[in-house]
Amino acid sequence: MASVTIDHVWKYYGKTEAVKDLNLKCADGEFLSVLGPSGCGKSSTLRMLAGLEHISAGDIRFGERRINDLPPKDRDIAMVFENYALYPHKTVRENIANSLMLRGASRATIEQKVKKATELLQIGHLLQRKPQELSGGQKQRVAIGRAIVREPQLFLFDEPIAHLDAKLRAHMRGELKIMQRELGTTMIYVTHDQLEALSMADRIAVMHEGVLQQFGTPQEIYDHPVNEWVAGFVGEPPMNFVDCLIEDRGGVLHAVHPSFAVPVTGSQEAILRDSAHRAEVRMGIRPDQIGIVTGDGGDAVAAQILLTEPLGGDMLVDAAVGQEKFLVKTKPDFQGRRGDACRLAFDTGRWHLFDRDTGLAYF
Amino acid sequence: MAVTTAGGGRGIGGGASAAAGKQHLLEMREGARVISHTPARLNTAPSRAYYFYLMLPAIIVLACITLYPFFWLVWMSLHDVDVGAAADKWNDFANWIRLGRDRKFQDGWWLLLQYSAMCMVLQIGLGVLLAVILNGSRHEKLLVTIFLMPMMMAPVVAGLVWYYLYNSTFGWYHWLMQSAGILGERSILGDPSTAMLGIVIVDTWQWTPLITLIVLAGLKRVPRDQLEANMVDGAGEIRNFFQITLPNIYPFLLIAILLRFMDNFRFIDHILVLTGGGPADSTKILPTYLFDVSFQFFKLGRGAAIALTLLAVTIVLGLILVRVFQSPTAQTRPEDS
Repeated sequence: MASVTIDHVWKYYGKTEAVKDLNLKCADGEFLSVLGPSGCGKSSTLRMLAGLEHISAGDIRFGERRINDLPPKDRDIAMVFENYALYPHKTVRENIANSLMLRGASRATIEQKVKKATELLQIGHLLQRKPQELSGGQKQRVAIGRAIVREPQLFLFDEPIAHLDAKLRAHMRGELKIMQRELGTTMIYVTHDQLEALSMADRIAVMHEGVLQQFGTPQEIYDHPVNEWVAGFVGEPPMNFVDCLIEDRGGVLHAVHPSFAVPVTGSQEAILRDSAHRAEVRMGIRPDQIGIVTGDGGDAVAAQILLTEPLGGDMLVDAAVGQEKFLVKTKPDFQGRRGDACRLAFDTGRWHLFDRDTGLAYF
Repeated sequence: MAVTTAGGGRGIGGGASAAAGKQHLLEMREGARVISHTPARLNTAPSRAYYFYLMLPAIIVLACITLYPFFWLVWMSLHDVDVGAAADKWNDFANWIRLGRDRKFQDGWWLLLQYSAMCMVLQIGLGVLLAVILNGSRHEKLLVTIFLMPMMMAPVVAGLVWYYLYNSTFGWYHWLMQSAGILGERSILGDPSTAMLGIVIVDTWQWTPLITLIVLAGLKRVPRDQLEANMVDGAGEIRNFFQITLPNIYPFLLIAILLRFMDNFRFIDHILVLTGGGPADSTKILPTYLFDVSFQFFKLGRGAAIALTLLAVTIVLGLILVRVFQSPTAQTRPEDS
């Protein structure tokens, strides 16, 4: 087991900057998820950790040890690849035992460790098969088995469940989390799927265009995104964004839109008053932070229903406020229909305002 | 199943809406049963004759260019054949019986085996090495083009080029070897102990690029993540090559071996140019001997018998290689997700 420190790390491919000045510290035994869209530098980061890519600048340390120049085989890591990367000419047993055999472990040790790993993953009955005889889920378990049999100090997972079907993916999320807790091994898990990151990780590093955007617990990232990009990327269905102006109306700051004006109150107002450039903002509010009210709610905004999407447990409502469209998540028993008028109540305790130029969040 | 679409009343017109709904449901059920009925065969399987007619043109062409000469060869091997108007005489298997006590025939086989083995080992070894070095190198395309040049040369021309290089009076290669003290006054091709090696070097020079080309294509298909997984598992470069790369290029290697094996049985141009089978028959591999018998001495009957033994061995070797090729270990397709 070891902590991992990524210290001012850069990665260039030719002139392209894939990772820009990345700083991360992953505690011993922590489940860290690196989240971002494709091309954000998350896989490059993982590959630098694995030793499969050269580190252009900066240092990576496992514990106190600088590992920049160590080849992969000396880093004591295990990696699970997106496409599993099983050895097709070897049986499941040989695939799993490969790392132990390369280290010259005794037959008895190999036997015992393979048994333990396969029991944990419930693939004991597959040992004699070749990879092409396995289903996607089984391949993925074998790939994980190959990683855990090593008992490495660090696990690196590169979108390991991205290619499974939705149901199996949900199941594996739970299993991976339990497995990591039981083994207690530090794990760095790269994914583009925010659901995986939010549900499994102790902490999430959100990356975009090679730059670390935010590093925090899943709840922090969801509740307090540092900028507009993180706010838009994390959360499903995505956050609603609307351009507003901040105006002082009778001593109270309001977020003003041609179709509505919402007062900013309490500590939020104090933050805005302290800020110099606060005139042009972008309001961000999640679909579940908007309520649909009937009758005359105080600050509720008049809207018209464009579309309702029942999802069984929830109902998504597309509502138009002037030219703007809001996505609202409500209860499935909502009775509104297309074309009906309604009123939207914003939960201003949990909404966000972002600077329109820099994208940074005021709150 | 005698259900037809005509059956069942249609709920057209009157009745309360609920009743109409029920009627509609009934109809739908009825409809489902109708569909479960075996459909008419729109697409019947063609008869065997149809396939035969499709293949017929190919069979005719094949018969003319392959089967007819083959049977003619068999016929020749059983007769005294003269190049002339004289009728061919049945000779009671004399051509075949003579092969049993023909030392040159037996030596020819032995030399062919040595020659093939040497060529194969050298060419596969060098070819794979070159491919690994070239793969992903900076000027890969340019280098591959340069390396391929010997292969583009007609074998006779290659033979002539090396004939001059080996020449003991003005041959550059000969001079080099002599200067290095490896070779005495002897000429490379003039000495029975080195002539075969000289031939093997020419063949290797010309045909290693083919192996390189094939293996290079194979190397492009070795999945990178498998190599990386193995590195993370603890393998170094060399082990990675033997554990991942080699099994993955195995099918490509087999193709290369198959091609070269057959070529060694057929291509004797450079031997004829360089040594003509000499000195003292030290390079008279079987195809060369066959050439002598058939086209120098014009014993066409005996030549046919020799050719048939060559054909038999080629077919057997080909079959063995194909069998190996189809074995499960050769089926190393890259993992697909």
